[in-house]
Amino acid sequence: MQQRMTTHKENPVDSAVPVYRAHARQSRKQRSRGSGVLLLLAAPGIAWFLIFAYAPMAGLIVAFKNFDVSKGIFNSPWSGLDNFKYFIESGDAPAIVLNTLVLNVLFLAATLGAGLALAIMLNELRARVFKKFMQSAIFFPYFVSPIVISIILQVILAGAGGHGGAVNDALGLFSLPEVSWYTEPGPWPWILTIVKVWQLGGYMSVIFLAAITSIPEDVYEAAMLDGATRARMALSITMPLLKPTAAILIVLGVGRIFYGDFGTIFAIIGDNGTLFSTTDVIDTYVFRSLRTIGDFGTTAAIGLFQSVVGFILVTAAVLIQRRYSKESSIL
Amino acid sequence: MSTSTTSGVAAANDAAAADGTTPAKRRSIFSRAANPTPAPGYRGSKKATKLEPFTVISYLGVTIFGLFALIPLWMILAGSLTAESTLARSGYSFFPEPFSLDAYVAIFSGTAVFQGYAATLFITVVGTVLSLLATASLSWVIARRMPRISRPLTIFAYLPMLFSGGLVPLYLLVTQVLQLQNNWFAVILPHMMAPFLVFVAVSFFRQLPEEILDSAKVDGAGELRVFFEIVLPLSKPILAVIGLFYAVSYWNEWFTAMLFISDPEKYPLQLMLQNLIANVTNAAMLPGSGSVAPIYQLRLALTVVTIGPILLAYPFAQRYFVKGLTLGATKG
Repeated sequence: MQQRMTTHKENPVDSAVPVYRAHARQSRKQRSRGSGVLLLLAAPGIAWFLIFAYAPMAGLIVAFKNFDVSKGIFNSPWSGLDNFKYFIESGDAPAIVLNTLVLNVLFLAATLGAGLALAIMLNELRARVFKKFMQSAIFFPYFVSPIVISIILQVILAGAGGHGGAVNDALGLFSLPEVSWYTEPGPWPWILTIVKVWQLGGYMSVIFLAAITSIPEDVYEAAMLDGATRARMALSITMPLLKPTAAILIVLGVGRIFYGDFGTIFAIIGDNGTLFSTTDVIDTYVFRSLRTIGDFGTTAAIGLFQSVVGFILVTAAVLIQRRYSKESSIL
Repeated sequence: MSTSTTSGVAAANDAAAADGTTPAKRRSIFSRAANPTPAPGYRGSKKATKLEPFTVISYLGVTIFGLFALIPLWMILAGSLTAESTLARSGYSFFPEPFSLDAYVAIFSGTAVFQGYAATLFITVVGTVLSLLATASLSWVIARRMPRISRPLTIFAYLPMLFSGGLVPLYLLVTQVLQLQNNWFAVILPHMMAPFLVFVAVSFFRQLPEEILDSAKVDGAGELRVFFEIVLPLSKPILAVIGLFYAVSYWNEWFTAMLFISDPEKYPLQLMLQNLIANVTNAAMLPGSGSVAPIYQLRLALTVVTIGPILLAYPFAQRYFVKGLTLGATKG
């Protein structure tokens, strides 16, 4: 822990900006003069972090208490590991952990793949106006709120009065049987993955496109002189050179796996219990148990479990990413 | 204007682009985004004499994805203008036939939507202003590299990106300690600062030319004056980026509102919409009902009303978002 803290000292921007050492060269005396005023400037931010980021961390002791609203967090009696026991004995743990992992791996793979493919294809487009229009179109879903997404899905999948819907009508055209999507848990991991691709495909493509733009021109010129086709160039130049970007996105994405996108899943699935077997993730489970069981202790215990595993994953991801990007920038 | 400044090896470059490491790189992306014409050459118009199959495939692929992105939104818009009779049969429509404005009339003849707009606007405007002020000032102090202040503050703002208290303590904090139920600040405060955006701002502030700040100090300007009258005006582009990130997240925020706001008169738009979904589901389950109010059309029209302002701001906002994304690159 202490070790990690020290590594993070250099993080994330300090070590990244060697050019600005000029700043640091200024004499210490000169800078500490205004430090009181500067602290005043930082005060609102510091206060926010203390109240809304650090106090809740301390509040996690609820996980070890038999919480009673009337007594408050600190006066409620201790209960040891009872809350954790309850969570583990409920038998829900393996399923929701598995769901969290499976769904987030699917999301990550699909959005990265879509973003990469889109960036490479967008890069091929010559028609300026068309390209700009398409870029705006594919980026737009990023701004659409989870609630709106859930309405779109209902329109497409559910139709009116629980039957029909655009997809079922399309299935009907090929004389395939109608599916009652909202009672069928099987296809939902894929449906959610498609939603994620819709939502984040354009966003990811922006990141990849930025990386493509930084590939030096002469590499392509050389390939062109050798008579390479555009497909060849995309495959043998662009793709390999995008690997570091993809690697960093993967590492960061894996780090965030335990903080799956709660809003979207909850807005879409809500309290539809028939779909829980494939879609219930840690976040939705925590929220539901907070609301239905109303047991703060147990819920906090699950939250603590999530935070700890999440912390380990994120920290590992950050360490790997720093290492990786350093290595690749030495190459 | 920019790619040539980078140091050659491509792998290094795009790694840098992805995590925003080298400042030179970051600056170059920023200036390019400000001037969105792409660099000429391979990406430009050169030697596009013969059409290759891969180019054709690319046009096709992008078009398909574009349609995939737009069709759902079109269905919402078209559906909101379609008479309830059609919607109650199929649930969707691709063309507004028969055309009907019933739902919009219903929405704008009541007060609920205006209340919802008022709530959302309050949360978005007040929230964004507070967020910007707090983020900019904290970031500036971190960026100044003050001895014994900036370093600890960096860690202080960074740790919450790694570890969070989670939902339960936050819920207890807002409801038990701060007593903010049914108060719009309960929606604003938990999201007031995003550590990620703090670091985006820090990295921008560190690129400001030191000379200007020095000359201001020589002229006798105090720290506060330097910040408000020199730093902030010079940082307009980054403030726009950060402000937009905050504004969109406030506009779309519904979960915190659902947790803390139970008075329907104080519902923001997103929560109203979510409530309406529940009502539609209920209405669909009751036999014989649903034909009374244009509930399917209403739901779609309210959706259009909710995303309308984003759609209007989009042409302006998109550029800044792309800029912010490439600047902060991989948002963790």
